[in-house]
Amino acid sequence: MKAAAFDYARPASGDEAVALLAAGAGMAKALGGGQSLGPMMNLRLAQPDSLVDLRAIAELRGCRRDTAGGVETVLIGACTTHADIEDGRFDDPSRGFLPRVAAGIAYRAVRNRGTVGGSLAHADPAADWVNAMAVAGADILVQGPAGRRTVAAADWLQGAFTPALAEDEIVLGVRLAQWSAAARWSYYKFNRKTGEFAEAIAAFVVDPALDLCRGLIGALDGPPRVIADARGLLAALQAGDPAAADAELAAAGLPPGSYEHHIHRAALQRAAAQLKGNA
Amino acid sequence: MNDKPTSPLALTVNGREVSAVVEPRTHLADFLREQQLLTGTNIGCEQGVCGACTVLVDGVPTRSCITWAVSCQGAEVRTIESFDEDETMAELRAAFTAEHALQCGYCTPGMLATARDIVTRLPQADEARIRLELSGNLCRCTGYVGLVRAIGRVLEARRQRNLVEA
Amino acid sequence: MNAPLAETRAQGIGVALPRKEDDRFMRGRGGYVGNIRMVGMVDVAFVRSPVAHGRIRAIEKPEGCEGAVYTLADLEGVQPIVANSGLAGFKCSAQPVLAGDKVRQVGEMIAMCVADNRAAAEDIAAQVFVDFDELPAVVDMLAARRAGSALVHEEWGDNVFLETFIDADLDDIRSKAAIKVSRKLRTARQSMAPMEGRGVVAHWDHRLGQLIVYTSAQMPHINRTGIAGCLGLDEGQVRVVAPDVGGGFGYKGILLPEEVCVAWLAIKLGRPVRWLEDRREQLTANANCREHDYDITAYADGDGRLLAVDCEATVDSGAYSSYPFSACLEAAQVGSILPGPYKMEKYRCRTWSVATNKPPILPYRGVARTGVCYAIETVMDAIAVQAGLEPWEVRMRNLVLPQEMPYDNITRKHFDSGDYPECLRRAVEAIALPAVRERQRRGEADGRRIGVGLAIFCEQGAHGTSVYHGWGIPMVPGREPVTLRLTPDGVLEIRAGVHSHGQGMETTLAQIAHEVLGIAIDKVRVLLGDTGITPYSTGTWGSRSIVMAGSAVGVACKELKARLIKIGAHLLKDEPAMVTWQAGAVVGPHGWKRIADIARTWYLQPQLLPADVDPRGLEVSTTYQARRDSGTFSYACHAVVVAVDTALGKVELLDYVVVEDGGVLINPLVVDGQVYGGAAQGIGTALYEEMRYSEDGQPLASTLADYILPGATEVPAIRIEHMETPAPYTEFGQKGIGESGAIGSPAAIANAVNDALRPLGVEINQLPITPRAIVEALAAASAASATQGRNA
Ligand SMILES: Cc1cc2nc3c(=O)[nH]c(=O)nc-3n(C[C@H](O)[C@H](O)[C@H](O)COP(=O)(O)OP(=O)(O)OC[C@H]3O[C@@H](n4cnc5c(N)ncnc54)[C@H](O)[C@@H]3O)c2cc1C
Ligand code: FES
Ligand code: FES
Repeated sequence: MKAAAFDYARPASGDEAVALLAAGAGMAKALGGGQSLGPMMNLRLAQPDSLVDLRAIAELRGCRRDTAGGVETVLIGACTTHADIEDGRFDDPSRGFLPRVAAGIAYRAVRNRGTVGGSLAHADPAADWVNAMAVAGADILVQGPAGRRTVAAADWLQGAFTPALAEDEIVLGVRLAQWSAAARWSYYKFNRKTGEFAEAIAAFVVDPALDLCRGLIGALDGPPRVIADARGLLAALQAGDPAAADAELAAAGLPPGSYEHHIHRAALQRAAAQLKGNA
Repeated sequence: MNDKPTSPLALTVNGREVSAVVEPRTHLADFLREQQLLTGTNIGCEQGVCGACTVLVDGVPTRSCITWAVSCQGAEVRTIESFDEDETMAELRAAFTAEHALQCGYCTPGMLATARDIVTRLPQADEARIRLELSGNLCRCTGYVGLVRAIGRVLEARRQRNLVEA
Repeated sequence: MNAPLAETRAQGIGVALPRKEDDRFMRGRGGYVGNIRMVGMVDVAFVRSPVAHGRIRAIEKPEGCEGAVYTLADLEGVQPIVANSGLAGFKCSAQPVLAGDKVRQVGEMIAMCVADNRAAAEDIAAQVFVDFDELPAVVDMLAARRAGSALVHEEWGDNVFLETFIDADLDDIRSKAAIKVSRKLRTARQSMAPMEGRGVVAHWDHRLGQLIVYTSAQMPHINRTGIAGCLGLDEGQVRVVAPDVGGGFGYKGILLPEEVCVAWLAIKLGRPVRWLEDRREQLTANANCREHDYDITAYADGDGRLLAVDCEATVDSGAYSSYPFSACLEAAQVGSILPGPYKMEKYRCRTWSVATNKPPILPYRGVARTGVCYAIETVMDAIAVQAGLEPWEVRMRNLVLPQEMPYDNITRKHFDSGDYPECLRRAVEAIALPAVRERQRRGEADGRRIGVGLAIFCEQGAHGTSVYHGWGIPMVPGREPVTLRLTPDGVLEIRAGVHSHGQGMETTLAQIAHEVLGIAIDKVRVLLGDTGITPYSTGTWGSRSIVMAGSAVGVACKELKARLIKIGAHLLKDEPAMVTWQAGAVVGPHGWKRIADIARTWYLQPQLLPADVDPRGLEVSTTYQARRDSGTFSYACHAVVVAVDTALGKVELLDYVVVEDGGVLINPLVVDGQVYGGAAQGIGTALYEEMRYSEDGQPLASTLADYILPGATEVPAIRIEHMETPAPYTEFGQKGIGESGAIGSPAAIANAVNDALRPLGVEINQLPITPRAIVEALAAASAASATQGRNA
């Protein structure tokens, strides 16, 4: 199938892009790598009147390191590709966490073009960045007609394919605190076939320096379940008590006894074990 | 249908500078096949999954079915038709035919684009890595046995040569 | 005196020669239908039914585009597609090429829209409005058989295309059998999913007065017959060209309504018309194979010796009987080949070919054999468990023995040759069974469970007239034709009516010519796929081409050689008895004449020919039939080791061995490729591929992200071992093996998974074995044992 007709614009600045999206009155869409939009438009599941290609906006490329209030952060531009991150062509604050996640997304040819910002804006609950950024405690930087704002990645998904992003807003980038040398992380993605979207995601990030011990149950029907203080859960899982996860799994909306409950519990156990192994 | 929006487009295709007018909805694969008459790039799904349409855009493998031609303004695109002078490709082709890495040939142009990326980017790749890197290119005919062997053979030959040269 | 330059490099039968066809594909010069460009060519998009079952109340063409939209009402005089089975009791379905008053599956074509390019044609199609009265959909084949089900074809009164019954009195068996095992088994509906979809380009050639139809097809001559019939043209007015075909597997062995529509439109518009199937159309409108249900019982004595098999098999045939294989080939095959390679006293089998609101079924690589092998091999494992034997031991006790060959089995299949027990023995050895059992006992550090599974089967291939007549299909294959022609420069053209869609026929037929004539491979041109230049054949399907066309080439080359010798001897001034044929030349005591010398003489220097020269010249047309048309029986044993992750339900294939006997191998490289590729497809059948439908008949996968095909990480490094028992009835002893790989793998993998899960009290009886199936089965088993524990 071929896409329905649309107009195309390639603005050079974020302001211009936002103005174009606003002028589209809901029928204009931002274009990142097109790796989610392309298939949907080819199937005519999405039929925007116009696409606003963000890839020529210099600000959305590359990374910026800042220190504010004693915290060192890195802003990763929205148009950074999955392959950039996989290959370490960016300023990595995550001690290898983000490259590992990137390498497990889709296939190399898709990673060469797909972007972090696009993936977040697409807001597929089974996608990797929405989950990885949530467990990493990242902030998502957004620009709209009213200016810029920041959304915690953990609050990004309002529902499946529904990000905390208005139709005339764009994602500028993702901001992460620099993790300390003592940081440890794990990320377990269960899918039926290499490169496909996850059926279950579980992850833990621990950084004593940032007072961080977060866990995540992802690839749910809706937003991921972020466990802000995962110390108890981690300890129990690592001690070999899978039932300890049941309360969180229930809170994630997974009916006990269901297939989904089983695989998410197994993913959590493995992520916990991986973290132990990383120690 | 000329009531549909169009955009000007200038890019390099197989070393040749091309200017064209395209409908923005035309994906790169259709642009190459229908407008440039470069039919070597096959279309297998237009859903980004099968990899048959893989071409090099600015040197890296890209799904041409989910890349709009207009978004390739200024890009360098290389298709299977452009590799006749390429030594790596010559080596891969020899290995593909020796290992029976193709049957119907439909996945082959995309496979070769990906294979070339593997042998140049990952000189140390082992069988497991070859399989992983190849997993985005579907082949319904060969069961991948010949493909994995052919790529492994080229990698091994290159490693041997580098040892000798070193 | 020097001998003629002998061709030193081996190129004949048995040589693993790289393929002649590879180069063009590796340079992006494959000639697929989608690559054809013609001046003025327009594109078609079809409006397809969004509902599985409904009555069409009205079709409204979009304002301003009326002339670009065609419905059945416009296609005056075009006949529907009819494929009647010759078996008694068959109920006929007529499939209009565009829907009439009713649609019977999602994706059924309702209108044809034409524009300058596909995107624009889809724009028009999106505006066509169809008003439906939705009817209840018939989705499940067993429910469809029940009284009171909604009806796909009301006039039938039920939903059964055909019921067949092979009866036997099993009373005595029941009373004496120490072992009785019963299983209910299901295989999913699949899409064959060649990487290239179907596609058609048609135009009218005024000079020839011919409709030219390029189509991605396995059986161009059959398509020609079908297209001419539907359009009311003489066959001479239709030429079908199947150019390079990007994979077939049975998917392209059909007369398509799209072909008829596009051909009609090309005539109507007087310009070239193109339709290229996209993946969404393929998956949603054309998932069309493999869906079987078995209710099977086997009886054995205490030693695991089979006494009888009793089976009720249902095949979901979809909405229409497709041409030429019909809705009933699949079930007819089930009935006749379910006994597999085994001996038994009694056999009883009832089959139903059931109509549902799904795409018409087509024979996918292996056809019914894949499901049948899964059924019988599941049962053999069940007997092994009951008898306390290793699965291979039970099989060994029941296989036909080499000294019994040729052997007529219980359904009168004539097994031609081979050593089935040896095949099994070698597979068991190659998979290192004792080591696997030991590993199982030790357990895995990561908690996964190891299992090992076997499947042994024989594959009837290249079966001919009597067999297909017996199966009732409207197209019965006969003698296979081939035409050879030498050009004046000594190049041999082989024109064959079979086709190649990856099987390497351009190479293997040339190898056969080399074997007989000693002609260099690069001096042989194999011409296929074009009804204008090849003799009428039923085409490539049923693992028949290398046996039928390959043998025909051999026979024709021998005939040609005799004529060449006669002319050559005359040119050498020798008696034919004094000369020999060596490396592509006639060699006498005083010199030699190469093929090219003789060819030049025939065409350009006829004054030098003997007076009594064979007037048929250097062109040979012949037809071939094996000495028996009951088919070749290749056979194989697949052995596989799996690791099952019980927490996630994921199956990894750790080792995979195929021991295969394809008779004399023409080109081992090509044969291995067929086996690898088939096995990979079988892995898809076993673990990944299923087209599920909602209760109202909506297909639930429309992309390759939902319909999972195995990739390089899902297929292991399969190992193949060969046996080579020559076929007794074919020209070179070759057997058909094209489908083999896809037959054994689902059964072997299912047996391996169940071997791994058996200690947990779980057996999975459906394909594919998904993570969900495994996890849910394990959860159910542990819930059951928990209840039992409480109750105890
Ligand atoms: C075969 C295949 C397999 C895949 N597997 C995975 C997988 O395993 N895991 C995974 O996470 N993803 C997977 N993906 C998706 C892939 O990662 C995409 O690259 C990603 O989801 C979208 O990024 P993009 O830049 O291509 O966005 P686009 O496709 O361009 O856009 C996606 C959406 O985001 C919007 N958008 C894009 N950029 C911005 C921005 N900066 N600001 C605001 N809105 C924006 C668009 O309007 C659109 O709505 C897969 C894709 C394919 C084709
Ligand atoms: S055609 Fe582009 S990925 Fe399949
Ligand atoms: S060779 Fe046919 S799909 Fe790969």
